[in-house]
Amino acid sequence: MKILFLFILIFHISHVNADEIYNLIKIPNLEIYKLNNDNNIRYLNSKGDFKIGVDDNITCNKTNQQNLNTKFQVIERNIKRYNSKFLKKINLKYIVFCEGLFISNINTGGIPDNKNRTLILDINFNEKYFERMIHHEIFHMIQNAYKGDFNDQKFSLFNNSDFKYAECSTCSDRLNLDLYENTNGFLTEYSKSIPSEDMAEIFSFLMVNKNLIEEKINTDPILNNKVNFIKINISKIDENIL
Amino acid sequence: MIKVIKASKSEKILFIFLIVLTVSTFSSFFLLKNKCLFIDNNDLKNINFENPNNIAVMNLECGNVIIELYPEVSPKAVERFKTLIKKKMYDGSAFYKVVENTLVQAGDIEFGNIEYLDYSKIGSGKSGLGLLKSEISDDFEFTEGSIGFARSTKFDSEDSEFFITLKEIPIYQGEYTPVGKVKYGLDIIKKIKTGNKAIYVLRPDYIKTFRMLEIN
Repeated sequence: MKILFLFILIFHISHVNADEIYNLIKIPNLEIYKLNNDNNIRYLNSKGDFKIGVDDNITCNKTNQQNLNTKFQVIERNIKRYNSKFLKKINLKYIVFCEGLFISNINTGGIPDNKNRTLILDINFNEKYFERMIHHEIFHMIQNAYKGDFNDQKFSLFNNSDFKYAECSTCSDRLNLDLYENTNGFLTEYSKSIPSEDMAEIFSFLMVNKNLIEEKINTDPILNNKVNFIKINISKIDENIL
Repeated sequence: MIKVIKASKSEKILFIFLIVLTVSTFSSFFLLKNKCLFIDNNDLKNINFENPNNIAVMNLECGNVIIELYPEVSPKAVERFKTLIKKKMYDGSAFYKVVENTLVQAGDIEFGNIEYLDYSKIGSGKSGLGLLKSEISDDFEFTEGSIGFARSTKFDSEDSEFFITLKEIPIYQGEYTPVGKVKYGLDIIKKIKTGNKAIYVLRPDYIKTFRMLEIN
């Protein structure tokens, strides 16, 4: 009976994902968008909707070609800022484009997957935050590759002792991505969700608007410590990123 | 009295037609069943090789596949490949994974031999020689007939399984350790039994023998 079940499993399910890209990064319905790039990153496009993850909890739809061609210019310009050595160190080789990315029914801009060296990007993510979102998600890949350096507990100690992060990034209603006028240790409301999101927000702002952050830290000692923490640890990986 | 009735001209034509039809049906049935019918046999005596030390001959149901190995690209991987060939460990190895018009894969020494196929474990077998470090070349292009070492999702997990590409697969460049390329006999590789729409093949084709070229 066990053998029969196994045969049914192998011969009736496996054919669905029988393509060479799936074999590499375990996402179906993808096609090559742009392969040869100076920093060795590879861009893939979803030619069909896909569902992946535990209980298919990650879903995303195929892209509109015209939309992708427009957004790609922004994406490429930002990704070009990372050299091939750095990308190799953080286990990032494939960027997958799709539209309407959801994880457990929650809309998200990107999903990093260090194991498969892949970052899935929703090209329809809010344009206002789109560039910053790219760097935000890349930070998650950095943190996953360098957990010891970007330690959540160590980072949390920079906050006032009476502050508490939420249990998880989606467990709170702290989701706004706009920059605070008065930072008080946090750049955005989303920074207050969990330490790794706080770090990712700092990194993303440093990548897209470094001067503004340099200004903010002059009057915010907590933020100053956090920014230095990020800068020092990023420079250990590559001195030229920040 | 028995009256002799002569067949008319049209009846004779019909009779001949039926005979021709029967003969052609039977012969085509047996001919079409033979998938190797129009395959050229690669006679080693008629071929000269620049680097005979790096030529391997894989004998399959339809004939010899001549493979050139690339030690200058992946020295450790080619050394392992040669060791497995010399120890005859690939003999009987099944092409258990065949993606139609894309690639064929064989070389699971432990669970993928035609004598003791284990479908519950196939693809996870070991050669007993240990894992290899990936020898990735960013310049090596996987075109039709390229041979690479298969690995798990992680690098540095190559052992004995290898694949042969049946078309250009640009995304494999910089992902898999190249071993060599099919010089002659790609049409033989293309005749390897597929699993129709499934990746894994029931009653798969297999390597009869795999040898390094004998130099006299």
